[in-house]
Amino acid sequence: MKKILYLFLIFVNLCGQYVIAEHEEDASTDLYVIEGKVFPWDNAASSGWQLMTHVMANGGEHYGFLREDGTFIISNVPSGSYMVEVVNPNYVYEPVRVEINSKGKFRARKVNLIQTSQVIQVPYPLKMRPLAPFRYFQVREQWRMTDFLFNPMVLMMVLPLLLIMVLPKIMNDPETRKEMEQLNNLTIYNMPEMSEVITSFLSGGEKQKSKAVKAAKKRQ
Amino acid sequence: MAPFAWTIRGNVNRFFVDAQILQYLIVLAGLFNLSLCLYEDQVGKFDWRQNYVGKITFASFDTVSTAKKIIVATEENVIAAFNLKSGQIIWRRVLEKGGHIRTLGGVADGDLISVSGGVPAIVRAWDLATGHILNEWPIAEQNTDRIKDVKWHIKDGTLHHILPIYNSGVEVTSYDSKTGEKLKTRRVSAPFISQETECVLAAPYLACLKGDSSLALVLLVHLFDTNAQPQSVTINTIFGAGAQGPYKLESVLGEEPVISINADNDQRKRILAVIGELPIPIQRDIAGDATLYVVSIDNEKVLLETTYKNGKIEIAATDLSSSAPLPDLSVTLTHTSLQSPTIMASVCPRQTKGITCRHLLSSQDHSISLLQHNKLVWTREEALASIVAVEIIELPMSDRDQAIETEFDQKERDVLSMFLRRITSQINQAKAFFQTILDLGPQQSNQRIDLVRDKFGLHKMIIAVTSAGKLYGIETRKGEIIWQLRLPNIRGFTKLSNTMILYVQRGSRHFPHPPQCALLAEDKETGEGVVYTFNPITGQPLDGLVKLGYKIKQSMLLHVTTDDFLRGILILDARNKVHVYPDSAIAVAASLGKSTYLFTADQTTGILSGFSLSYSTTQELIAHKVWELLLSPRNQKITQVVAKNPIERVHSQGRVLSDRSVLYKYINPNLVAVVTEGIGHAHKNTLNLYLLDVVSGAMIFSITHKRVRGPIHIVHSENWLVYGYFNEKGRRTEIATLELYEGKIQSNTTVFSSLATTKLPIVERQAFIFPASIEYMQETITEKGITSKHIIVALANGGILELPWMMVDPRRPTNPEMREEGVIPYMPEIPIHMDAIINYNQSVSRVMGIHTSPSGLESTCLVFVHGLDLFYTRVAPSKTFDVLKEDFDYYLIVIVLAALLISSYITKKLASQKAQKQAWK
Repeated sequence: MKKILYLFLIFVNLCGQYVIAEHEEDASTDLYVIEGKVFPWDNAASSGWQLMTHVMANGGEHYGFLREDGTFIISNVPSGSYMVEVVNPNYVYEPVRVEINSKGKFRARKVNLIQTSQVIQVPYPLKMRPLAPFRYFQVREQWRMTDFLFNPMVLMMVLPLLLIMVLPKIMNDPETRKEMEQLNNLTIYNMPEMSEVITSFLSGGEKQKSKAVKAAKKRQ
Repeated sequence: MAPFAWTIRGNVNRFFVDAQILQYLIVLAGLFNLSLCLYEDQVGKFDWRQNYVGKITFASFDTVSTAKKIIVATEENVIAAFNLKSGQIIWRRVLEKGGHIRTLGGVADGDLISVSGGVPAIVRAWDLATGHILNEWPIAEQNTDRIKDVKWHIKDGTLHHILPIYNSGVEVTSYDSKTGEKLKTRRVSAPFISQETECVLAAPYLACLKGDSSLALVLLVHLFDTNAQPQSVTINTIFGAGAQGPYKLESVLGEEPVISINADNDQRKRILAVIGELPIPIQRDIAGDATLYVVSIDNEKVLLETTYKNGKIEIAATDLSSSAPLPDLSVTLTHTSLQSPTIMASVCPRQTKGITCRHLLSSQDHSISLLQHNKLVWTREEALASIVAVEIIELPMSDRDQAIETEFDQKERDVLSMFLRRITSQINQAKAFFQTILDLGPQQSNQRIDLVRDKFGLHKMIIAVTSAGKLYGIETRKGEIIWQLRLPNIRGFTKLSNTMILYVQRGSRHFPHPPQCALLAEDKETGEGVVYTFNPITGQPLDGLVKLGYKIKQSMLLHVTTDDFLRGILILDARNKVHVYPDSAIAVAASLGKSTYLFTADQTTGILSGFSLSYSTTQELIAHKVWELLLSPRNQKITQVVAKNPIERVHSQGRVLSDRSVLYKYINPNLVAVVTEGIGHAHKNTLNLYLLDVVSGAMIFSITHKRVRGPIHIVHSENWLVYGYFNEKGRRTEIATLELYEGKIQSNTTVFSSLATTKLPIVERQAFIFPASIEYMQETITEKGITSKHIIVALANGGILELPWMMVDPRRPTNPEMREEGVIPYMPEIPIHMDAIINYNQSVSRVMGIHTSPSGLESTCLVFVHGLDLFYTRVAPSKTFDVLKEDFDYYLIVIVLAALLISSYITKKLASQKAQKQAWK
């Protein structure tokens, strides 16, 4: 199955090459005119959009300029294949490939850079409609309450506050206190408090203060 | 059962693959989020754009429309309208690159007709007020090989196509200029016209000069009257006896049929005016270098003679027929920005106060100015539309910093003297401080206060050299021109691209030595090299223009400085002799001779040669040819020779692979990419790319692309090469990349030697489809090379794209199973993301070059794009990691810190209170 597919692909490739080769061989000197119309973006059909827009074939080999109604012609094109692009700094237009054969027949199709042999025809004379406005800019984040609240710094501030305010309330409940004391005893038994060890190690004279701290801690 | 299991496995496999693709997508999405984009409120904050039109070829005042303006056509194929009062562009239409504008006219009749292009020409009718196109039609040319001799005339809505036919007459074909309808074809008999006759159009006449001796004749043919006989005037009747040839015929600008004839080797000229039906020679000598213009004021024809001597412009007005001087209309003016100007257009309307003339002047330095009654209203520096060389230079330190610098600059390290200096400088500083407070100190600095180095080195000076031989210093913050100077009689090295070479010999960091730049160019008359050294910050000449007296073949900036921090320039002349500029650097150059190599590439013969300076003595430098290579066999032509940026630094020596081993980069500073283009086998366009070690002459790598055509754009940096070309088979633009690796072992960890390394590098390569046409490419550069590289691509549609190098990485795997960290799987097409367009909707046309320069910040790179428009911005390829974002919330952090501090105190209080209470219990 795969082999067949490959063969088919090769065949298609060959066909493509053959067609292109044929294109190049003809040496007719006739010159043609590509015609079309560019439509403005509906919401912003301000005056002067025609001035900002021009049509470009093959990356600047030939130019076409817009009339007031948006129609354009690109004159003096020999037969061949042309990528026609609308250049406008504010709106995206889809490029179209226009092929003119040696007899002067026109065919317009969608541009497919990857599968160059694929043909999806579009009407000729060209009708170029904007797809969307260009979005050159990043949207700056708006100040929102949730953003502020979930900001790590705010969380850092709020959580200790909560601990300070809420925990004593819980502690006042006798049952929980009992539980906590048990827990505390356990922890104290298991591992001596690090800060205490260090403070006692560093300063012998400040034992009382550390005790006070310890007492305060116990109450919590 | 088995097939079922297989399908399950297949499904599972597919699921894995899908999951992987999904992962990639996530990675990709992350990447694009990482890419630098602009916020809308940052528009114009660190970028600016300037629009230009180029050197004007045709101009006329639009006095018909309600809004008065000036219409010009330029050498860059631009048609534009300027505001009369301010000189700003009202509208501008950029025509095709090859579409040379042949004529522009019809403004007086309220429409604008342009004829541009070669065979066949395109006629376009434009709306004067708005710049819209009204109609466009091609002229079918019969004699395609004589397009150069065709003359065009536009009058009363009719376009006349005038072609002299040898030995027979003049064929005049008239078209309706709006619709392109052929009105009639006439043939006026003029059998005297041959290949040698020099003809100019002085509508409605064609004036031809026959013969070059004293018996020469000026013949006038009326183009629109087929019955009229050619009228002839002998040179003797114009000049009287004794005029020497060769004569030169020129048509005088303006609406009237007036021609000027130069004689005596352009020493003097006289004019011949057709008044009524008869040609009347005016018996008055005019200086040979004067430029003429005929303007009509109230049906009186006035001749304007413009002369320029020693910085003084004199416009002398005389009545055309009587030669009576009209002192009211004459102008004398001295202005630095006017240099040998020519009147391109002129109007003299009669107003209530009298006649006021407006002249549009085009100077030799391409600038355009409007002169209104003795006063220069505005000037446009159009030379900036043709920049050929750019450097971006750091600004000097402020005076205060300079004082500190001098304090620590001294070499001696004696405690006592250092202490003394410390004290004196502090006293000086204190004195200066009090002086500034009391506002009485003398202003020592002659430079502008704001032209000093800023903290991050973002404010710099752009030095631009233009093809007109004019140099500009432009500061980067607003794009203001700080200084300008013009070097007459210089031109670029090759006639085609007009390149000049600009070297920074000394930067601004070596106070008290002034920074120094050197411009290498060719003398216009002799073709020999010239060096011009100047201070890039002030524009003051240092050594001035030095004529070298030999042709420059190759040049190089030495990497070692002399004692006063000046880097010498090594110049190889056409006879392969080496010179050093300035002379004081000879000793340094000689000491480096052992390790100095030069190479040359000859475009016409295709020969590349390498020279070694190792035979030099301390007195004389000798270039000895060590290798030679013939690169272009059969129809191939060298089109590009691209070396790496000499100031580039490579930070990382290798690339970490997925198995934690390191693939070392092949970083050869002597590697040069050479591109040849031409017709290969079976008449297909081919492109050859060679990577050449120019020290040893070794060919490192070569590749051929068939059915590929230019223009080729190459970026060569670090260990990679990116180039764009047009693939004729796929009919699309493609970008190919090459990356060179030494392998898993690095041959020499400290220094690279071209002569010691024999192993060829491993070359990774890949090609991608690029969905736009490329005008120019350049890589970003930063101070230490830590920041990742992006490629700045100028697109044909006017956008400037910042393309991450990661997107064109040749190691992007085609097989998704092979995964490497930080490598995106291969996709054939490179997407263009709109938020990577760094110039947003500020489109630039005809980009000729992009200059990138490191800033003081490692993350930031300065980008200057030049062409018809100038655009400057800065980019941060890896985002600004070394500086806080400009939208950083200083208030928030202050508030949070303060709140934390206060709350900690309060809680401390509360805690102690509570502890006390507990203790009482």
